[in-house]
Amino acid sequence: MSWSITTILKIRSLSGFFGATLTLALAVPVVAQELSVPQSLAAGSNTTISTSGSGAANFYLVGPGSASKASVTLGQDIHLAPDQLRYAGAYAAIVCAATCNHAEFFVTAAKPASLAFLVHPSRVPVRQPDAVSGVVLPFDNFDNLVLTPTAINIQVKGASETLFSRAIPTRNGEAWFRTSSGNTAGPVRLVATAGDLTAQRALQQVASEPCNLRIKAQPTPRGIDVETDPVRDCAGNPVSDGTIVTFTGSGPQGKISIDAPIKGDVARARMNVTGPVVLSAACGVAMGNELRIDRKQ
Amino acid sequence: MQFAEKTHQRAPGHGQEIIHGGPETMFTRSLISKAMTYCLWVGSLIVLFSLAAPAIGPDIAVELDISNAGPRKIETQTEGRILADYRLAWADIAQALNSNDSGPVEGIFTGAAKDWFDQTVASQRQSGITTRYSNQSHRLQAVFYAPEGDLITLHDTAQYDRQVLVDGRVILEDRGIHRYVVLMTPGADRWVIRELIEVQNF
Repeated sequence: MSWSITTILKIRSLSGFFGATLTLALAVPVVAQELSVPQSLAAGSNTTISTSGSGAANFYLVGPGSASKASVTLGQDIHLAPDQLRYAGAYAAIVCAATCNHAEFFVTAAKPASLAFLVHPSRVPVRQPDAVSGVVLPFDNFDNLVLTPTAINIQVKGASETLFSRAIPTRNGEAWFRTSSGNTAGPVRLVATAGDLTAQRALQQVASEPCNLRIKAQPTPRGIDVETDPVRDCAGNPVSDGTIVTFTGSGPQGKISIDAPIKGDVARARMNVTGPVVLSAACGVAMGNELRIDRKQ
Repeated sequence: MQFAEKTHQRAPGHGQEIIHGGPETMFTRSLISKAMTYCLWVGSLIVLFSLAAPAIGPDIAVELDISNAGPRKIETQTEGRILADYRLAWADIAQALNSNDSGPVEGIFTGAAKDWFDQTVASQRQSGITTRYSNQSHRLQAVFYAPEGDLITLHDTAQYDRQVLVDGRVILEDRGIHRYVVLMTPGADRWVIRELIEVQNF
C-alpha cells in the first residue's frame, strides 16, 4: 500500500497549521496501480497485462476496433483475448481506481495469410514496353496489411515465354513490378507467391496494330467484292475479330467508304460501283495496297 | 404619435435623398441615429463573440510531400484531392469518435479500415467511452503511388491532443506524435482510406 503524494501535496497547499493537521488527518491511502504491458505483439495474440496494487478498479482497453471496459482487481493479471487485439495499431490500457494510469502498446500484423494482387491492364497489345504492371499486398488473417518486409515471387508467363520472374521484397507493405508485353497473342498468367501463399491473375495479350495490309477484289454482277488477306500484326499475330478495316473506292462517281469488321482474320465488303474505280484499305495506322478495277454496267 | 408628412426630392446629379419636414424630422433623425448606434453595438458584439468563441469545425493542418512518391508521378489535382479528402477524413473521425456515431465517416473508410472503425464506435458507445481529438496537424509523405494510380501509400506523422472520457470523466489525456501508415484508393468521388495503421516507427 502506498500514499498518494499528490493528495498530500494538495492538502499541504492549504498551508499553515491547519493544513499540516489536515495532512495527517485526511490524507487517505490510495492504492498505486502500475501497468506492465507487452512492448509489441502480433494481431490475434493472447496476452496478459500485469497490474500492481490492490483493490477494485476499472480497466479500459482503447484501440482500433476496441473500446472495452471491465472490472478488475489490482495486483492480478488482466488477460486479453485474441479477439480484442485483432487489428494492428496502438492500444491504450487504462486502469482507473482513485486515479487513472495508462500504458500503450503496439499490435502489428500477424504473418501473411492472403495476397491482394492488382494487375493492369486486362488486355494488352503485344510488344508494348512497360505495358503490364502489378502490385502485391500481403494481409494477415485479420485483414491487417503486413508491413514487415516479405519476399514476393512474381512470375509472368505467356503461352511460350516467361515475361518476368523475380523475387521482390515488400516495402511499406507492397511489392510492385512493371514489364513489357510478349510477342505472342494469347493468355498470360501472373502468379504472386509468398511462402505457401499464391495469388493468380490472367490477362490477354492481343495482336498489336495491323502490319502489311493487303487487299484483293473481284467484280461481280452485284458490285465489286473486296477483301483483305488475313490481317496480322508485325509479329504475325492475327488481329482480333471486330477490328475495323475501312475500304475506300474512288472513281468518276465520287468516293465511297465502307467500314467492315475483321471476322476470321479477314475483312470483306461489297462496293456497288460501276466504271473504273481505285480501291484501297486502311486499318489503324496500316494502309493497304491500291487496286484498279473496271466494272462494266 | 403621428409622423409629419415628408417630401422627398433628389439633389440634381446626385443619388442622395434630401428630407424636408417639420420638428418631427429632428425626432426621425434621432431615431435613425439611435438605431444605427444600436446596430453598431450589436455588430461589435457579434464580432467579439465570433473572435472569442472556438472556431466552428475542427481546424486541421495537413501538408503533403510528394517528392518521394513513385513509380507514378502524382498530378497536382490528385495531390489537392488527397489532401482535402484526408483532412476531411480526420475531421469526420474526430466527430464520429466524439459523438459515437459512425454516420460522419460514411464513405470515408472502406475494407478493413471501415470494419475496425465501425467496431470502435460501436464498442465506445457500449462502454460509455468517447474520444476527443483537437489541435490536429498531419504531415503526410507519399511513399508509393501505384503505376496505374489506383493505390497510394502515405506516411502520416500526426500530432494531436487526445482525451478519452468515460461518462464525461477524463481517463486519458495526451499530446504526442503518432505515426500512421495509410493506404488510400480512389472511390467514386473521393479518395477513401483502406488502411489506417498506427505504427511505432516507419
